[in-house]
Amino acid sequence: MSYLPTKNRDVEQRLRDEAKSLLEQGRVDYVIGFEPGSLKFTTTPLITNNKDDVDHLVINPFIVNNLSVYLTEIKGRVGIIAKGCDSRSIISLIQDKQVVREDIVIMGIPCPGLIDLKKVERLVGKDRDELDNIIRDGDKVVITVDGQGKEYPITEVLYDNCLGCEFPTPQEYDVLLGEPAPLVTDLTASRQKIEMLEGMSQQQRWDFWKDEFSRCIRCYACRNICPACFCERCFVEESEPQWVLPVPRWQDNLIFQVVRNIHVAGRCTDCGECERACPMNIPLRSLARKTYDLVDELFHYKSGTDKEASPLMTAYEQAEAEDFIR
Amino acid sequence: MTGKKKISKGNIERLLNEWSQEFTVFVPSQENGVATLAKWGGGDTSFLAWYRNTITPAKANFFPPMEEMFSFRKDREGYHIELPPTDERKQLIFGIRPCDARALAILDMTFKDAYEDPYYLSKRNNTVLIGLGCLNPYDSCFCTSLGISPAESTDVDLMLTDIGDQFLIEEITQKGRELIATASGVEEATEADEGKAKEVKEASYKKVAKKIETEDIKEKLLPAFNNQDYWERAAAKCLSCGICTFLCPTCYCFDINDEMVKNQGERLRSWDSCAFPIYTKMPMENPRVEKWRRVRQRVYHKYEFYPMSFGVIACTGCGRCIRQCPVNWDITQALNGLPAKI
Repeated sequence: MSYLPTKNRDVEQRLRDEAKSLLEQGRVDYVIGFEPGSLKFTTTPLITNNKDDVDHLVINPFIVNNLSVYLTEIKGRVGIIAKGCDSRSIISLIQDKQVVREDIVIMGIPCPGLIDLKKVERLVGKDRDELDNIIRDGDKVVITVDGQGKEYPITEVLYDNCLGCEFPTPQEYDVLLGEPAPLVTDLTASRQKIEMLEGMSQQQRWDFWKDEFSRCIRCYACRNICPACFCERCFVEESEPQWVLPVPRWQDNLIFQVVRNIHVAGRCTDCGECERACPMNIPLRSLARKTYDLVDELFHYKSGTDKEASPLMTAYEQAEAEDFIR
Repeated sequence: MTGKKKISKGNIERLLNEWSQEFTVFVPSQENGVATLAKWGGGDTSFLAWYRNTITPAKANFFPPMEEMFSFRKDREGYHIELPPTDERKQLIFGIRPCDARALAILDMTFKDAYEDPYYLSKRNNTVLIGLGCLNPYDSCFCTSLGISPAESTDVDLMLTDIGDQFLIEEITQKGRELIATASGVEEATEADEGKAKEVKEASYKKVAKKIETEDIKEKLLPAFNNQDYWERAAAKCLSCGICTFLCPTCYCFDINDEMVKNQGERLRSWDSCAFPIYTKMPMENPRVEKWRRVRQRVYHKYEFYPMSFGVIACTGCGRCIRQCPVNWDITQALNGLPAKI
C-alpha cells in the first residue's frame, strides 16, 4: 500500500538511487531512512550498510521519526534523510560538536507536514488499524473507512508542530529531493494548547501539569527520541547527588521535564517527537514549543538554522533581552 | 439449559454498582486520551463500545509503577520500620482481556511460586477478574501464536463473551460462581446463545493476523544467541526507552530507592527496564553495555529463559510493545527473522 498519489512517487525512486550510489561509491558507511513499518500507516527507521536494503526506502506522510537522533550513536559516515525540522536538529548537533558535517550526507526532503494518526482517529471515530487508507493530495486528505472515502482539509490531520512549522524545506542538505515545500500552516491550531495554558492562572497551570505528570511512567521515551538530548549520562540518572528520584512521583516527573526543557532550549527544533513518543499522552510539545518561542523572543535565536553560529548558551549578543538581570 | 448464564448489556451498570458494594471495581477508562483501568465511578458504561485494550496492562493493579515498601524513621534507639497500610477492600477488574489475564498467571510464577512477594500477592489474592472476550484485536496482536484465543480464557473468575445485546457468562472458578449466584439481571443462557458465542470466538480468533512461528523457536534461539551481527542489525533502531518493558504485561523488573528527608523516609520500588543502559548499575555494573545485548535480553528472557525456568513463554502476544514503540520495533520480526536452525 502506498499513501501517496502516484505523481509524488518519483521522489522515492530518486531517493533510492541516491542512497544506493552513496553506498556503492563508498561515500558513506550507513544510510538512515524510513522503510514501511509493520503496522498500518507506520514507517520505521531503516539503518543499513547494505545497498540492497535501500530499495525499501519510502517517503510518505508517516515518516515521523527525527532520524538525527541516531547520528551520535552510529560510527562512520552516514547518509541521512532529513525533513525540515530534522535538518535543523542536524545543524544543532554540528553546532554542539556532536557530529562533524563532513561525515554526513544530508538527503533533504521538503516536507509538507506529517499526518497525526491520533487526529485522524478522533476525526473518523475509528482506530488507525480499522481504516482502509489515508491518502494525502496537496491540501486535502482522503480517509477511507469501510470502503467509503471522505475528503478533509489536510490541516485537520497534520501534527500541531507541523501546523506551526517555519522551515518545511531542509536548511542544510547535500541533495534536495523534490521541490521546496509550500508552508501549510494553521498557527491558531498549532498554538491552541499553548494558548489554553497561557490563559490559565499560575495555580491552574500548576494543577494542570501536576495532573498530566501524575500519568508519567518515566519510560524516558521523550528523552531518548530527542536528538537534542545527547548527554551521555542524564541528570536524572545521577545518584551523587541525586537531583530527582528515578521513581515516577509526579513531583520528580515534573522536575525531570522542566530541567529537560531548559537543557534543550536553543536545541529543540519543535519536531514534536517527545509528545508523539509519549505513551501516556502528556502534551510535552506545549512545554517544548513555549520554550522554543521564549528562546526566539529573548535571544532572537532559532535553533538549527546556522551551523556556523555558536550554541545559544555559549554566546552573548548585545541585542539579547536582559531585563531579567537586575 | 446449557449450564451457562447471560446478562443483557443494559444490566451491566446495575451489576457494576452491585459489585461496588463489596469491591473496588476497575473498568476500562479513557480519561486524558489514555485507555487504562480506572476506578468505576458509576454511570458510564460507554467503554463497552470503544474498549479494545488498555495502554497500561492489568499488571499495574498488582505491581504498580511505584509503591511504598515501608517507611522508616531513625532516632537514638535506631531505625523504626513501619509497613504501609494494606488495602483490605477487595478489587474487581471488569473487562480484562485473555492476553492480560494469562500474563497474570505468568507473573504468578515469579511473584508467587519462585518466591512470595507480599506486595504483589496481597493484591492478587484480593482480586476478582472478570474477563471480556476480545472481538476486535489490533493489527499488532499475535496472541494466537502463544496459544491464546482472544475471546477465551480460564485465567479469570468469570468470562464474558459479547453475543450482541447480551454477554454470555462462563463461570470459571468457584469465586466466580459465587459472585454471579447473587447478581441481579443474570439469566440462563440458551443453546442459541452458546452457539452465537462459539461463532464470535472463532471469528475473533481468525482476525488475529500477526503470527510468530513458535514451533521450532527453541532450536532457532539457542544458536542465534551469539549471532552478534543479527542482534546488532535487529537492535539498530531501538532507542533504549522503557515503553516495551513497562507496558509489557509480563515484565516484572523493579528498582528500589530510598527517599529520605532528615531522619525519616520511605523505601519505594518502581518499574525498571532491561532496555536502560543504567539497569543494575546500582549494585554493580550493567553487563549489557551494548544496545544489542539489551535488545537480545528482552527477547531471550521471554522466549528462552522464562521457558527454561517455568516452562512457559513469558509473552502473551498482546502487541503493546509493537503498538506503542515510537520506532515500530517489532518483536515478531526479530523472532521470525531468526536464521534457520542449523
